[in-house]
Parts: sequence; C-alpha cells; structure tokens
Amino acid sequence: MKYIICVLFMLISGCSTVVPVTVKFPEAPSKLQTICPQLEKLKDEAKLSDVSKTITINYSTYYECAVKVDSWIEWYQVHKLIFEGIK
Amino acid sequence: MWLLNFLPDWVFYVVGSVGLIGLFLSYLLQFIPIPSINIYKIPIQLVSIVLIVFATYMFGGIANEEQWNARVEEVEAKVAMAEVESVKQNVQILEKVVKKTEYITRKGEEVIQYVDREIVKYDSSCVIPKEFIKAHNDATELNK
Repeated sequence: MKYIICVLFMLISGCSTVVPVTVKFPEAPSKLQTICPQLEKLKDEAKLSDVSKTITINYSTYYECAVKVDSWIEWYQVHKLIFEGIK
Repeated sequence: MWLLNFLPDWVFYVVGSVGLIGLFLSYLLQFIPIPSINIYKIPIQLVSIVLIVFATYMFGGIANEEQWNARVEEVEAKVAMAEVESVKQNVQILEKVVKKTEYITRKGEEVIQYVDREIVKYDSSCVIPKEFIKAHNDATELNK
C-alpha cells in the first residue's frame, strides 16, 4: 500500500497547471456602440420645406448610421488581424 | 507540474545526487566484510534507484516547465502588444467616425440652410397631398 501511494504521488507530480495567459476581448469605441435612431416622420400639415428638411435629416441619419456600420466592419477586420498575430 | 510550484528546483538536484551517492555507497558496501552492514546493500540500492528515477523524471519536468514558461512569456508579450495595437486602431477608427459624422452633419445643415433660403418660396404654391405624407411616414417604419 505504501509503495502504491509513493508511485501515485510520483505520477500525479506530472499533472500540469493551467496556462496563465488570458486574452481580454478588445473594447470597441463607445461611439460605435450606440444604436441607430429611428427616421423622422412628416407632420400631417407639412409644407414642401418641411418635407425637404425631414428628407435631409433622414438621409443624414442614414449616412451617420452607414459610417458606424462601415467602422464596425473595419474594426472587426483590424482586430481579426491583431488576434491572428498572437498565435 | 504542480510539484515544481511548491518545491524549488534544487531539491530535485539534491534528491538525484543523494540517489547517485547512495548507489555508489551501496557498491562500496561489498568491500566491507561486516555482515550486519552488508544487509543494507539491497535496500539502499533500491531506494537510490527510486530517487534517481524520480529525480530524472523531475529534471524532465523542470526542462518542460522552463520551455512552457518561455512560451507563456512570449504569448504574454504578444498579447500586450496586441492590446496596445488594439487601442491605437480604436483611436484611429474613432477619429475617422467623428470626422465623417461631422462632415455629414455639416453637409446636412448646408442643405437645410438651402431649403430655408430657396425651397420655402414654394411652400404656398405647392400643396403636399396627405397620401404623400402617409407614403413617406410608412417608409420610415419599414423596420417595424
């Protein structure tokens, strides 16, 4: 029994410990983490200038949101390359 | 190897040396013509061999541990570099977003100024039908 305990003790001495390297998930810019706003609507009694303004505002909203989406794509591609560089 | 975390490396070198010395001494025992001492020859040899085997095993463990520690340090350095690079790229992306958003806002304001200056002249002459307003407002809710 004593010998078995000694042999077991020797064998478990080979047990490995956990590798202490952790990679933190990269933080994205907070400006990219805001949701796109809803488009503006026309009032019932809207004039031509109101229509033009609302359409302009909505186009601006679309393009601002498109910038965010494009930036997310760029962020993903850049960080994928960085992550692959760690291996 | 967890055992290496509790004991310093030199302990295993001492164990190995004790094993070798024990083995050597056990061979010397045959030259001593005293039977009461000679009976310890086999046990000393056995214990020495066990110590040598254990120490050899642990030498391998030490070498392996050193190799892994070097690898860990290398990966840690890469991770640190990646984190710095990530922050740098985030700043660049954020600058681009801010620049592009400011440009869009400025262009939008210019168009609205143009509307206030030119399009308002046609407000009284151009009646917007309710159907147009409905079509526009429905289009703003395509995602609902």
